[in-house]
Amino acid sequence: MNASARNSIVMVGAGVSIPPSDPRSTHDKGILAPLTLTLAEQRIAVIGANGSGKSTLLRLINGLVLPSTGTVHVNGRNTRTQATAVRRSVGFVFTDPLSQLVMPTPQEDLELSLRRQKLGKKERAEKAAAILADYGLGHLAQSSIFELSGGERQLTALATVLAVAPDILVLDEPSTLLDLRNTKQLMDRLDILPQQIVMSTHDLTLAATFDRVLVIDNGDVAYDGDPQEAIARYRMLVGA
Amino acid sequence: MRGHAFLVAGYVPGNSPVHRLPLGVKALLLLAVAVLCLASPLVSVRAGAVVTSATLVVVAASHFVAGLTWPRIWRAVRMMLIFLVLIAAYQWWQYGPLVAWQVIAAIVATVLASNILTATTPVDQLLDGLAALVQPLARFGADPERFSLTVALMLRSIPFVIGAFADVRDAARARGLERNLLARSLPVVIATVGYARATGEALAARGLGDPDDDVE
Repeated sequence: MNASARNSIVMVGAGVSIPPSDPRSTHDKGILAPLTLTLAEQRIAVIGANGSGKSTLLRLINGLVLPSTGTVHVNGRNTRTQATAVRRSVGFVFTDPLSQLVMPTPQEDLELSLRRQKLGKKERAEKAAAILADYGLGHLAQSSIFELSGGERQLTALATVLAVAPDILVLDEPSTLLDLRNTKQLMDRLDILPQQIVMSTHDLTLAATFDRVLVIDNGDVAYDGDPQEAIARYRMLVGA
Repeated sequence: MRGHAFLVAGYVPGNSPVHRLPLGVKALLLLAVAVLCLASPLVSVRAGAVVTSATLVVVAASHFVAGLTWPRIWRAVRMMLIFLVLIAAYQWWQYGPLVAWQVIAAIVATVLASNILTATTPVDQLLDGLAALVQPLARFGADPERFSLTVALMLRSIPFVIGAFADVRDAARARGLERNLLARSLPVVIATVGYARATGEALAARGLGDPDDDVE
């Protein structure tokens, strides 16, 4: 995970549209206007109203959404033609960790992530247990994921993503379902990571601490640059 | 949509003799239980009832050797209680009480034996076992890892669907629609489809199940 310096996300005319819901219409519905961006900073925040296109922008980065126009390259790899390689270098944390944790217990979910590393069974189990212990979740290793609190689930989700050492970490509103203490715990974790981080959030105080902030409005970038200026622009846009 | 803190294949950590048995031996014992219960009635109805009853006693005893509790046994039986009653009634009506008992005891013994297997084996080991079982089919294009992952996802999904039923029932009650079948079933279908889509997206995001073709 020798991340920062060489990481870059390059979008060239990358736009997303979907077929019209009205069969009589001949025009596709635009979700994200064609964007040309290079994201190379260590910590980038994406802010904007609900439905503005933040999640679509983030999903472009790891190929969960493919551009209808243009291209997206991550560390030189095309998200369309090298999707698997891109996904393995970009960790993605969802808003709701229950969507992300697919196995019955944290231990098993961690081990599922580690399967890609072709470790032996014993080594895989030990490594999973060690990672959970590092996150302070060791005592919950065999609990049902439904028994965990929201904060514990989100930390587990983060652990499962980071277990495979991605170069870039993309987080889609990871603190939306968390209380203040759990948000702080999560952010403390993110602060010490070497990975490049791209995160959407509604927490403007948090966004102010990032290196670069993109304001998304109505499927387009309304502002891109200094955090304070971005937040002021966003407040103006929503009339707050 | 909430889930239930209940795992169908919930592993119960322990160090009992059953826990220490290799997965292959446990799977063979499970197979033996099924064969005994299914084959013994072919000798005679009485032999079938005796052998199946004895098997049921051994399986139930094994639960306690494995350190599993009564609630765990009851939970496994409770899930299929209504079906057991219906099957028993039909068998009694058609073939008499001895056959009805043999059939019910066979089902319960087999389900309890499966319960022991899943309760004393971590899911990860089960997945490895399944992958090994399917390995010979790899030459015909089957993907053992994907097969075992599919089974794991199925196990993970059942508590969600149970939770969805509970949520929708509560919502229907709150709106006075508890007798409306559509109000109690349609949202479950929608939630389940949504859950399946979210799970697919989560797997894709983690690169699980992807081919390795474009990875250097």
